[in-house]
Amino acid sequence: MTDFRPTILAFCCNWCSYAGADLAGVSRLQMPPNVHIIRVMCSASVKPEYVLKALSQGIDGVLVLGCHIGDCHYMTGNHRTAKRMPLVQKVLKETGIDERRLKLDWVSAAEGEKFQKVIVDFVQEVQMLGPSPLREVRF
Amino acid sequence: MSVKHVLTTCPYCGTGCNFFLQVADGRLVGVVPCKTDEISLGRLCIKGYNAHAFVQHPDRLKQPMIREGGQLKQVTWEKAMDRVVKEITRIRDKYGPDSVVVLASAKCTNEENYLFQKLARAALGTNNVDHCARLCHASTVTGLLYSFGSGAMTNTIPEFDDADCILVTGSNTLEAHPMIGARMLRALDKGAKVIVVDPRETPLSRISHISLHQKPGTDIAWINGMVKVIIDEGLVNEEFVRQRTTAFDELKEAVKDYSPDKVEATTGIPMGKLVEAARIYAKSDKAMLAYAMGITQHSNGTNIVKALANLAMVTGHLGRESTGVNPLRGQCNVQGACDAGGLPNLYPGYQRVDDPEAKAKFERAWGKQLPGKPGLTLTCAIKEAMVGKLKAMIIFGENIMLSDPDLGHVEEAIGELEFLVVSEIFLSETAQKAHVVLPAACYAEKDGTFTSTDRAIRVLRKAVDPPGEARPDWKIACELGRRLGSPGFDFSSPAEVMKEMASVTPQYGGIDFERVDKQVLRWPCPTPDHQGTRILHTQKFTKGLGVFAPVQHAPPMEEPSEEYPFILTTGRNLFHYHTGTMTRRSPKLEREAPEPYVEINSSDAKRLNIVEDERVSVSSVRGSITLKARVTDRIIQGSIFIPFHYAEAAANRLTNAALDPISNIPELKVCAAKVAKA
Amino acid sequence: MREEHGNVAPALVSKGEDIGEVRVEVPYQLITILETIYSWVPKGRIAVITRKCDEKALAELTKRGYVDDKRIVRIGLACSKEQIARCRCGDPVPTKVDLGEAGLPHSKDDLSEKLARMSPEERLQFWVRQFRKCNKCFACTHNCPVCFCDDCVLEERTFVAEHGIPPGLSFHMIRSYHLIDKCVECGECERSCPAEIPLLTLRKMLAKDMKEVYGYVPGDPKTVSPLNTTLEGEQMEDECDEC
Repeated sequence: MTDFRPTILAFCCNWCSYAGADLAGVSRLQMPPNVHIIRVMCSASVKPEYVLKALSQGIDGVLVLGCHIGDCHYMTGNHRTAKRMPLVQKVLKETGIDERRLKLDWVSAAEGEKFQKVIVDFVQEVQMLGPSPLREVRF
Repeated sequence: MSVKHVLTTCPYCGTGCNFFLQVADGRLVGVVPCKTDEISLGRLCIKGYNAHAFVQHPDRLKQPMIREGGQLKQVTWEKAMDRVVKEITRIRDKYGPDSVVVLASAKCTNEENYLFQKLARAALGTNNVDHCARLCHASTVTGLLYSFGSGAMTNTIPEFDDADCILVTGSNTLEAHPMIGARMLRALDKGAKVIVVDPRETPLSRISHISLHQKPGTDIAWINGMVKVIIDEGLVNEEFVRQRTTAFDELKEAVKDYSPDKVEATTGIPMGKLVEAARIYAKSDKAMLAYAMGITQHSNGTNIVKALANLAMVTGHLGRESTGVNPLRGQCNVQGACDAGGLPNLYPGYQRVDDPEAKAKFERAWGKQLPGKPGLTLTCAIKEAMVGKLKAMIIFGENIMLSDPDLGHVEEAIGELEFLVVSEIFLSETAQKAHVVLPAACYAEKDGTFTSTDRAIRVLRKAVDPPGEARPDWKIACELGRRLGSPGFDFSSPAEVMKEMASVTPQYGGIDFERVDKQVLRWPCPTPDHQGTRILHTQKFTKGLGVFAPVQHAPPMEEPSEEYPFILTTGRNLFHYHTGTMTRRSPKLEREAPEPYVEINSSDAKRLNIVEDERVSVSSVRGSITLKARVTDRIIQGSIFIPFHYAEAAANRLTNAALDPISNIPELKVCAAKVAKA
Repeated sequence: MREEHGNVAPALVSKGEDIGEVRVEVPYQLITILETIYSWVPKGRIAVITRKCDEKALAELTKRGYVDDKRIVRIGLACSKEQIARCRCGDPVPTKVDLGEAGLPHSKDDLSEKLARMSPEERLQFWVRQFRKCNKCFACTHNCPVCFCDDCVLEERTFVAEHGIPPGLSFHMIRSYHLIDKCVECGECERSCPAEIPLLTLRKMLAKDMKEVYGYVPGDPKTVSPLNTTLEGEQMEDECDEC
């Protein structure tokens, strides 16, 4: 499957992870293509509906990145995200979609290198999982 | 504080599901399915769950109106009725009773339709009474009358569950009759083979076993093709054919040239699949045929229905459990409107108006001389109006300005009328053109009965009061009858009307409000102790022997040309109902499908450089509309599909009023059109 | 629930009115009906025939302030053996049994176990095949006692993108997520589904996951959903109030 390039959506919170992404870019760190970054104000504003809709339409992987616990600009936003995402993964699992297509991680504004690593690792993992089975499913 | 749950029948499609309307302090607040209802089994479709939403809408007509100085002005009932009676009497006296047409309503109750046709025949002296069945299943009535002697669904809705094979054609069942479609799904889950024949890919065809896509207008070809396969492969039910039918030799002769390869050339259905489908249908133990508009709405609709009847008779799939020929009738009470005599050539109970015995019987029952000449059908009436031969129309609850073919001519026809009175619940496109508008009560505001597509008498119970001064149509009809000086319109309740109807209609002989209140009765139910009839033609057909009809394929009246290269076919979607007067005022339904659209095949779209959601104009020789394109593979190449619910892009502006000579049903399913970027 | 016109109908009976012939074998979702008419009964107490799952549903509603617990009087109904089997119910006995006889809980749900043993591909194929039958009747949301959102997210084109029917997987996955901390496994969704999709099984499997991940079971009036607490267990605003 070496010619399969996964399509990834990465939701990044404005204050920490998006800044981290910026830093990675400015530092000219190499990152795989086909990763679409969507900036949100807080990882908590990533409603599970968006994640589920994306995956149901055939997106190969969704990454949700927020601030480290304790650093959320809105105090408890990332607590919500931390509570939600494992349950979204369970919904995926019970439907028959690999849980690993959704990943939650914390990246701060100063962690450009960590951002790169998270992206590269995730893309590799999704590449191994193969294209989303929902790509061929027509409703 | 008063909260009640009123058990009533759904006003949308002909399945006839029952549910509870939740009423709190006189307001409709919701719908609860009825878990013990044998038809719906405690389930409903999205329209059923929203059946309460339009009832107390602010747009409801509350006051009669008369056109003065070009505008509709509110007046009292007294004034409105005076005007109606004055004009109708004047026109009748000047031009004769046959210059007036009464349109009964498939949305009104059996009792009301009985009164409408009595109004036309006894009070006005004309047989010019018809209704929208002319547009949908008129060819079923004529076709099956010829083949079996009775034009109704031969089996019942619950029987779909237990069929081994269901052949569905011309019906997008999951969208047009969702609860019947749900039964087909149950049969599918139990292992039944579902075969769908439809030019479009529909929700049912995608999960069926075999789905065949034929070119619109080629149905007799594939049906005859199947019959030939069955004859050639020795799959004919010899015993049934010998004992219960006649004219088999004519049929054999008629189908001899419909070999699978010729059928493929005409219809586009691959040979192998046609043969496979025919074999499955013939060899199954309990096979049901279900069909709707795709079969009936053609210029040779009667013949197509006869062809389907042939298919059922040659395999003996009739007169037993989970078999039969099952037309899925669209409106909540189109079956009842037909049964109650809302037809120009038939009295209640399908007795012919030109039969001297029947005429004498009704003259005795109603105490009046009755006209002997069959009246005009709706589609012919429009044509007569255009040439000035028809002068007045009394329309009860029908929106011909959107539902009839060739709207340009309908508009002209209405313009030629000297007098148009419309009884409606909303100011529909037709009511907007009327001289007098009468506000009517809807299904939730009156008592009465509907007859569903499988001949079951379903009960309506009043849940809320009508708005303003709106009145139930039975009261309007009675008052009109009385004012026109006719006896026999002194009814004080729908139950009394049904009593009279039962006395003159053999199939309804045993129907009365007390009986149907507690049990489901299907006609024929001739006597008060009869338990109703589930399956028709069990021992013999209504006319004795079933008759095979040697019908041949004939092309549609209007075929694609160079200027108009596409075949336009029209139809419905799940969320809206017919002309949308009710569903487009229900927020949750409107939200699901708010805009008109045309479905165009993706290769055709690519060729014309049209993308999804682009505004395009679709035109035919008769008119043009602009709407959004939906690029999809759900329609075959060379054809396009437009749902007819949207007044702002009325599909019927383009359709062809070419009529089937026997039933006068228009060819709504095929006409020629072109598509261009707007 | 009582006999009316040859059928069984839900009924709200006022003081002094004749109750009629009460029937308990037809499982109407009375809590959902209660929610619809609640605002039309401005004062006084309402007695409701409640099964164990109805008690749990009421708990979820009172926790969120939709129903005032002090106004509700529960008349405990124990489900019959057939009803328990139909729901594969593991917790069928109400707190106090006023009607019927307490039945034994059903030990397991065969379909859940079969699905759990399948490979992800097979499971996906199973659910896709089931959801292809969906006709968007919204019966599951309409009749669900804990589906109370006025502006349902499933009605937004943003989230359920497909034109017409069937709605894609997003409809069902989003619904499953929203119910994960509220579903009381009453089975009404499955009973009302015209396409007979085994929705209750999916709920049960996710309820098991919810228990494993957070040790939380909906239906207890005293516990707060983990989706409304921080990682340290402090209560936050109800996430459903966001809408």
